[in-house]
Amino acid sequence: MTEKNAQGDTLTRSQARNKKSKEFALNNAIYIVFMILVLGITIQEPSFLAWRNLRNIMSMSATRIIIAMGIGGILITGGTDLSAGRQVGLAAVVASSLLQYQDYARRMYPGMSDLPIWLPIVIAIVVCGLIGLINGAIIAYLKVPPFIATLGTQVATYGITSIYFDRPPYGAQPIGGLRKDLTTLGSGYLGLDGTYSIPYIVLIALGIAAIVWLMHNKTRFGKNIYAIGGNSEAAKVSGVPVQKTLLIVYCFAGALYGLAGTLEAARTGGATNNYGNGYELDAIAACVVGGVSTSGGIGTVPGMVIGVLIFSIISYGLTFINMNPYWQQIIKGVIIVSAVALDARKYLTKR
Amino acid sequence: MKKLLVAVALAALLLASCGGGAGGKPKIGVAIYKFDDTFMSYVRNAISDNAKDKAELEIVDSQNAQPTQNEQVDAFLSKNMKAIAINPVDRTAAAAIIEKAKAKKTPVVFFNREPLPEDMQSWDKVYYVGAKAEQSGTMQGEIVVEYWKAHPEADKNKDGKIQYIMLKGEPGHQDAELRTQYSIKAVTDAGIEVDKLAEDTAYWDRPKAFDKMKAFLAAYGDKIEVVFCNNDDMALGAIEALKSDGYFDGKKQIAVVGVDATAPALQAVEEGTLLGTVLNDAKNQGKATFDLSYALAKNQDVTKAGWEITDGKYVWVPYQKVTKDNYTQFK
Repeated sequence: MTEKNAQGDTLTRSQARNKKSKEFALNNAIYIVFMILVLGITIQEPSFLAWRNLRNIMSMSATRIIIAMGIGGILITGGTDLSAGRQVGLAAVVASSLLQYQDYARRMYPGMSDLPIWLPIVIAIVVCGLIGLINGAIIAYLKVPPFIATLGTQVATYGITSIYFDRPPYGAQPIGGLRKDLTTLGSGYLGLDGTYSIPYIVLIALGIAAIVWLMHNKTRFGKNIYAIGGNSEAAKVSGVPVQKTLLIVYCFAGALYGLAGTLEAARTGGATNNYGNGYELDAIAACVVGGVSTSGGIGTVPGMVIGVLIFSIISYGLTFINMNPYWQQIIKGVIIVSAVALDARKYLTKR
Repeated sequence: MKKLLVAVALAALLLASCGGGAGGKPKIGVAIYKFDDTFMSYVRNAISDNAKDKAELEIVDSQNAQPTQNEQVDAFLSKNMKAIAINPVDRTAAAAIIEKAKAKKTPVVFFNREPLPEDMQSWDKVYYVGAKAEQSGTMQGEIVVEYWKAHPEADKNKDGKIQYIMLKGEPGHQDAELRTQYSIKAVTDAGIEVDKLAEDTAYWDRPKAFDKMKAFLAAYGDKIEVVFCNNDDMALGAIEALKSDGYFDGKKQIAVVGVDATAPALQAVEEGTLLGTVLNDAKNQGKATFDLSYALAKNQDVTKAGWEITDGKYVWVPYQKVTKDNYTQFK
């Protein structure tokens, strides 16, 4: 990412050298801060550098990576999606309500026979995909700014989730008693050997990241989203189907939230209508820290993944050394603000 | 013009669906601090169940924002509700609500979040229904003490002390602070020493508790002997993390306690993963809230509403311990 930003230099040599080292420090400030943090945590608690911690951090990042993959594409088009978290919650509730085991006392559907595991997952993905499609349609055809459009669907989606969640026979109960096959998907490992094993959800997240990388880099659709984010008018003039592309971006993101919500329920063994609350902000923060510009046109898949990992490592690491929770909040806040400050600076130099 | 017509039609539709007053039933306004709080949903359901055929309720979601709730209270008062039942977002905001209600001579029943004593005293038509939060902590501690005494193997390092992890609710929340303090107090009062390995907040939230517990397990592993959680959602998150670390498969056991006795928590008690929980009696809190509001709305004597009223203002609904021995009664 750093090379890209250094390209714009058109100064004399001595000035340039001075500026370059400054630029390097500024462009990498976030990584430098991050390294200092990891170093600090490790000095405090040397056992932090164990495979087990890495595995925990990866599995806690998995659902967040999937969400970031969805929201990242939207950010690249210059949009945003505030409904992501609530869609995750809807998917978690829908999928887990359809995957409770038979003799669990408070099933949402008491008489229903077991469904094949893929069906509820597909249902959750389709439901959120539809909400994403609605987002896309509102933004592309009704020309409502993405912030407002998705603020609306955020509130409405929560309403839908709550109506589904809070109804007879047991109304507003946390959904428990998830089937073993679902929880295994969420917390099972692919064992290489006893110590070195990889959680299934991490493999799923990496698979999704690979697919999204291919979409962004190897397809016309990918070129189009960068073009729209760079300059929507110019893209339109040069023949990019702007409306159709936006529709697909939001719909695809919704589908990813659907998958992420299902996995979040699987991972934690249950769901309530409050699941996913605020996840969109975490995901946007992670993308921004990973170098995605909120003004569109800039961002890479590896950057987004790194952004998510940075946040997971910070939040896991600070818990690991049992740092005061108030300080954890302050540190996260500082990191978000400094990343956005950098983002704004990049945007200025780009001009 | 078209837009205007649509808007008018929508507004008319909304009014039609909300209106429709019934004859002799008193109107009571109920504001809940937020609808997605599991426990408050039980209380809300209990209030509406008790109100059936007796009163006309309007229940609103204050969306965890005190300004929203204040507006809702204004709306209740301007609709001439006979009584209002308020579950405050911020307990210190009660003074403003009482002032508004007093001006309209509408009695107020606060519930679940206790206003400050001086606010409670500011008018005689103000009541409070709730549980004593410290009692839930004390009962958690007692459940752990009982288990500790009956199971010497629970003391993994045989030092006679309990090494524990505390997962707290939202920092500063009265229930979170009191449960944290009194659960440990009950243990030390029973003459057992404790070592706090770690304490962190998981904001009452299951996924957050899951991630925190994973980190604690990596940091402390088998040193952990007891996990105290301020509520069941967090306890279940912690249990899920423990399961993925090989606990509860028959060999490794650990004591986890929560509060609320939610349905999945009772299931966990049955499976033997959750040692115990404490029932914050939502049904009776809801019933007491409604009974009091109803009596006030009907201008009847509240002391005859079926609840013991302490200091002329408070109805204390007791907590109940739930363990493997008695969980079936709560299902």
